[in-house]
Amino acid sequence: MARTMGPVRLKKTSPTTVAVGAALCIFILYFLLGSSTSDFSASRKATAALHPLSPPTSPFRQSTSGGKPKPPPVMRYNLNNVTITGNPVENNENILVLTPMARFYQGYWDNLLQLTYPHELITLGFIIPKNREGNAAYAELDKQITKTQKFAPEKDRFKSIIILRQDFEPPLSSQDEAERHKMQNQMPRRAAMAKARNSLLFTTLGPATSWVLWLDADIIETPPTLIQDLAHHDRPLIVPNCFQRYYNGEKKKMDERPYDFNNWQDSPTAQKMASEMGADDILLEGYRDMPTYRTLMAYMEENGGDVHQEVPLDGVGGTALLVKADVHRDGAMFPPFSFYHLIETEGFAKMAKRLGWQATGLPNYKVYHYNE
Amino acid sequence: MLPFTSSGSKMTPRHHVSGYSNGYPRGNTFEISPHRFTPRGTTPSFRRRRRLLLRLGIIAAISVLCILYFRGGSGSVLSLFSLGLFSSKDDFQLETVRYYDLSNVQGTARGWEREERILLCVPLRDAESHLAMFFSHLRNFTYPHHLIDLAFLVSDSKDRTLDVLVENLEAIQADPEDLQHYGEISIIEKDFGQKVNQDVESRHGFAAQASRRKLMAQARNWLLSAALRPYHSWVYWRDVDVETAPFTILEDLMRHNKDVIVPNVWRPLPDWLGGEQPYDLNSWQESETALALADTLDEDAVIVEGYAEYATWRPHLAYLRDPYGDPDMEMEIDGVGGVSILAKAKVFRYGCHFPAFSFEKHAETEGFGKMARRMGMSVVGLPHYTIWHLYEPSVDDIKHMEQMEQEKLARETEEKEKAEKARKMKESFGDTMNQWEKDKTAIQDMALQEKEAKDEPLEELPLQNKKLKGEARQQQGSGAEKADRR
Repeated sequence: MARTMGPVRLKKTSPTTVAVGAALCIFILYFLLGSSTSDFSASRKATAALHPLSPPTSPFRQSTSGGKPKPPPVMRYNLNNVTITGNPVENNENILVLTPMARFYQGYWDNLLQLTYPHELITLGFIIPKNREGNAAYAELDKQITKTQKFAPEKDRFKSIIILRQDFEPPLSSQDEAERHKMQNQMPRRAAMAKARNSLLFTTLGPATSWVLWLDADIIETPPTLIQDLAHHDRPLIVPNCFQRYYNGEKKKMDERPYDFNNWQDSPTAQKMASEMGADDILLEGYRDMPTYRTLMAYMEENGGDVHQEVPLDGVGGTALLVKADVHRDGAMFPPFSFYHLIETEGFAKMAKRLGWQATGLPNYKVYHYNE
Repeated sequence: MLPFTSSGSKMTPRHHVSGYSNGYPRGNTFEISPHRFTPRGTTPSFRRRRRLLLRLGIIAAISVLCILYFRGGSGSVLSLFSLGLFSSKDDFQLETVRYYDLSNVQGTARGWEREERILLCVPLRDAESHLAMFFSHLRNFTYPHHLIDLAFLVSDSKDRTLDVLVENLEAIQADPEDLQHYGEISIIEKDFGQKVNQDVESRHGFAAQASRRKLMAQARNWLLSAALRPYHSWVYWRDVDVETAPFTILEDLMRHNKDVIVPNVWRPLPDWLGGEQPYDLNSWQESETALALADTLDEDAVIVEGYAEYATWRPHLAYLRDPYGDPDMEMEIDGVGGVSILAKAKVFRYGCHFPAFSFEKHAETEGFGKMARRMGMSVVGLPHYTIWHLYEPSVDDIKHMEQMEQEKLARETEEKEKAEKARKMKESFGDTMNQWEKDKTAIQDMALQEKEAKDEPLEELPLQNKKLKGEARQQQGSGAEKADRR
């Protein structure tokens, strides 16, 4: 070694280098930790399940340490203590929002996020068919879920989210509005829909749910207080009126029209038609070939009328429908077969009635359907 | 020869002091080498400022870490630096999103190989006395225990059902043998009260039975809806009062790969009732008579099988049993009994349940069978595969048994009396025998004394012939022999 002895200095470090280095360190640290910071407050952690094998309506503790897994604990659920009241926020009542989803609409998700019901009491459940359209819907839904559950402030995050993939093929390849509503396609389409709804319902209901809100994936606008408003009526089944916004060519401005015709009161004509039908035939609403003369809630709306006005219903639609969990627990489901010549949500209203639960409609309380 | 080590040498050193060892001269060539001492060009004030900056930087870094640590609240920052070696106490993350593909849980004939999960549902009501028996069955199931999730519904119980249940379950999960541990265990508590019993559905005389069935259906639905999960492939309903069943029953039923399948249920009886009897009459095939009967009944009526009031003439699974028949033989049925039902979870997922209302004039498990058929599911019974329900004597049986018990008691007292009489008779007979014995010995003694008395005079005359004495002894001996013989 032959160089002169003495202090060696490569280069003088400038303060900018230090600053950049520090910033980089913090940046790296942030992302290292950020990947695992879907961290929740202690109150949310306390309600989490201890084991992955648990009711899906609550989050579970994913152990990050290795080691031998313990056998699941013996869990006791006292359903006598699950309250269902007209004031669900005050009583901390859990609500399950169930959505069969064939297509993802950003409007649906945005509307869901702006609901003012405490998100830590809301569990979302989705069932998505296993085809190409379903895969696309799932990809988009998953993106939004990650965004909300990982990076949004805690008050926006939902208690738990369950995504199911359907185990049967949808009977129709197309989800287009025109194709979907053809009369001869209705029976198999609605039977499949009923199966999807039941699959979603009975695997997610769990022991802690007080209310079940059925909300279709194409409902893009509701009042932010939807859950509180509907629950306030304290009815076993309650439906708002479903409308659709569109551009009215005659009036040259945006207008709205009734959309969901499955909310109705029965008529003698319809009952007579039903009594003459074969055991497996079903009555459908909203088709010119089948005039039932039922009283439709869609046409009961009065502009500026009382939003709290209630009407009793015999058939309900599933676009938006709030049900007390006890109704489903008693066995009321969406018949995928002709039940009193009714199917799916309409059959559900009938089955609930057979079990002693009456459906109610709110003709002046409106939610809006997507317009294709 | 080390020329430049001698410092005092007057010789010019070979190497120039200011030059490098590579021989390049140093001087007014362009300086590109970094290995050169540069004197500090900074002023003390600049140095002080820099030191201050450094300190500020360190404080900032520490405070950032502190904020991260306290806000995060978990050990994630610590574990980052300790490389996860020192894990903190609550070492978990919350997982809020669950994804399930239902096409993976369809249920196949060899579920244990594909790790298919079974939900075992047990409705309980005042069942404390049966729990010990039930848990002995539970320990013996051959289906992998960790694939079985247990769900119990305890409703309106007035005994210690709940406490005993919890004790037993906790004992199983704490078992040193890992293979004994079950999967998820849920105990649902719900009291339905007397609500249904107050319903007015009289007129048919079956009000009590029908409302009882509806209440049980409601209980079953509450249990299922609270316990069914997206990861279940099968659901097994089992009554707590099954006394004997094969340990392999889950696999045995699963092998048939049917949507709904039930074994035959019999019960053992005491010998005086014939030894055995069909028990579950709710598994049957529909008959024309029953359909015609159903049409005449009103909407809320419930046909209850196994009662003389409704003559349905249906073929029952229970009556078709042949003890030596093929246990794999299948029979299509329309109504099912609830003692032991294995169903694919998809049956319940698609909405089939236990109607708590009159569904096609049936409720509960029979209505379940009807609804499953309506939805196009296969519903099958195994006539020659039998499990045995516990025999609990009915009121009549108890009366009969009381009567028998009384008869038995009467018989026993009679026998006792007889024995007593015999003993007494024996005693009195025994007394005379004793007397006889006494008398006998007395007589013998007397005879002996007489003989001795005869002998004595001989001994008193010693001088007489010794021969005589010997004869006398012989006589005495033969006399004794004679006495023995007597």
